[in-house]
Amino acid sequence: MKINGVEIDDTFAEAFPMKATRIIITAMNLKWAYHAANALRGFATSVIACGVEADIEHELKPSETPDGRPGISVMIFAMSTRQLAKQIPIRVGQTIMTTATTACYSGILDSEETVPMGRNLRYFGDGYQISKVINGRRFWRIPVMHGEFICEESAGVTRAIGGGNFLILGKTARQVLAASEKAVEAINAVPGVITAFPGGIVGSGSKVGSKYAFLGASTNEAYCPTLKGQVKSELPENIGSVLEIVIDGVDEESINEAMRVGVTTACSYGPKKGIYRISAGNYGGNLGPHLFYLRKILS
Amino acid sequence: MNALTFELKSAPEFPLDVSPLIPDRLEGLDLQKIKALKVEYGKQKTSVSSLFRVSGRDREHIRIQGSTSRLQSVGKDMTRGTVEISGDVGKFLGQGLKGGRLEVHGNAGDWVGNRMTGGRINIYGNAGDYVGASLPGDTFGMNDGFINILGNAGDRIGDKMRRGMIVIHGQAGNFCGSRMYAGTIVVLKEAGNNTGVGMRRGSLILARKPAHISATFRSCGVLKMQFLRLLFTQLLQYGDEFSLFRKFGAEARRYTGDRARNGKGEILILLNTNSGPQ
Repeated sequence: MKINGVEIDDTFAEAFPMKATRIIITAMNLKWAYHAANALRGFATSVIACGVEADIEHELKPSETPDGRPGISVMIFAMSTRQLAKQIPIRVGQTIMTTATTACYSGILDSEETVPMGRNLRYFGDGYQISKVINGRRFWRIPVMHGEFICEESAGVTRAIGGGNFLILGKTARQVLAASEKAVEAINAVPGVITAFPGGIVGSGSKVGSKYAFLGASTNEAYCPTLKGQVKSELPENIGSVLEIVIDGVDEESINEAMRVGVTTACSYGPKKGIYRISAGNYGGNLGPHLFYLRKILS
Repeated sequence: MNALTFELKSAPEFPLDVSPLIPDRLEGLDLQKIKALKVEYGKQKTSVSSLFRVSGRDREHIRIQGSTSRLQSVGKDMTRGTVEISGDVGKFLGQGLKGGRLEVHGNAGDWVGNRMTGGRINIYGNAGDYVGASLPGDTFGMNDGFINILGNAGDRIGDKMRRGMIVIHGQAGNFCGSRMYAGTIVVLKEAGNNTGVGMRRGSLILARKPAHISATFRSCGVLKMQFLRLLFTQLLQYGDEFSLFRKFGAEARRYTGDRARNGKGEILILLNTNSGPQ
């Protein structure tokens, strides 16, 4: 199969069940909402060592937020609700609460599972915190130096899928990066998905395991262009750079759609602009229950 | 489906307890059984059919027509559905209400929402004393839920209130929010004397400055309260009758008290009720 002269491998991306939450950050203006959102999603590229994977989902108009101020919705993914419950209060407390004029709300309502936010952070109020139940939602008013930090009691948790991905193979790093950037832009327009890596792109895709017993993940040498002659490589002679785009989403449909628009956008660059092949990362199909076949998605 | 309608044949001479006329009690009953239900009328128990003309089918939507202030305990212990009343109601409207909606197109008597733990009460006229307040001997008043009064309300609104919200579009009487434990009371016109006296926690939000604030309250100055932004935005979702909150600013003078108790309650006097969100 070829799209615009770009070869689509007959392979699939293998994805895993995750748990996700959505947090809505509001502030006096978008600039300060972004300060908080960027801090919250900092060091959250991969669950391998960060605990969670997080990214800004989209901006929210004042009419879309609980307090009528401009806001940003951030999605946070982890392997379990327990992991989320460990990370969310720490991250919200150290990033959103410390940002001037912010407030923090749950972006998922009526869910079966929740993770604590204000439930833990209220103690920062040292006895002066105030609980308010409005519209069936509990908010904590924590007096702080900028005024009041308002934080919802907890954030809803939903089932999600992590690890949808595809690889863009091309001639040079510059060319592959240009195509990848555009692909990520297209993916960001799809609701319910995030690309947690910096700029949405993985520069150092990994495989499971290592020759070193202490290491759980290590470089994916089959796709390292510098090792083409040294290992059992997946790369032919003309490939000089490979970048991976990893997508977490709330359901299979959203990941399907994100992969479709991402691959299509990358392919629009074509071999003339140095994009030769699209592939995907998997573990043989035995580990993850969700398989995304590239050719099926694109047909 | 058309609402199950109870039309009073004539104005009752004695207090009439209509607490059985709620969706929870009428579910699965045919019209004959409903007509045969007994209600307390004065000192006697009388069948529904001797007092009301019954028509309609929808057990989840009940309408009471020709109501007077002798009707008591409307919607008592209800958990779901709607009870709509054309006319006035007497004491104990929505006592022990757990869910659902009560709509009163008239005035209500004393003790509205007593022991209420959920649901919503809409009163299009005035309400009497002790709205959401505790009965003598009860530890707490209203425990949760929402009471919206478009007219005025009497004294001791939200006395010992524990949780929930009361919005009064008109005036409030004396001792509004007295001995409150928590919850929110909003009054859009004048509140009477001794507002908030003895409150431990909770928020009293007054659109107009009261004539008098107890000496046991201390001013925290004029502030832009982020909480008010959240509250007004959320109130918009309760229905069109709250669209006036769209115009309200977040600026308020904050008093904390009652310092004769633990002093963690607050009275917020709105300064800018028509300049729009800021």
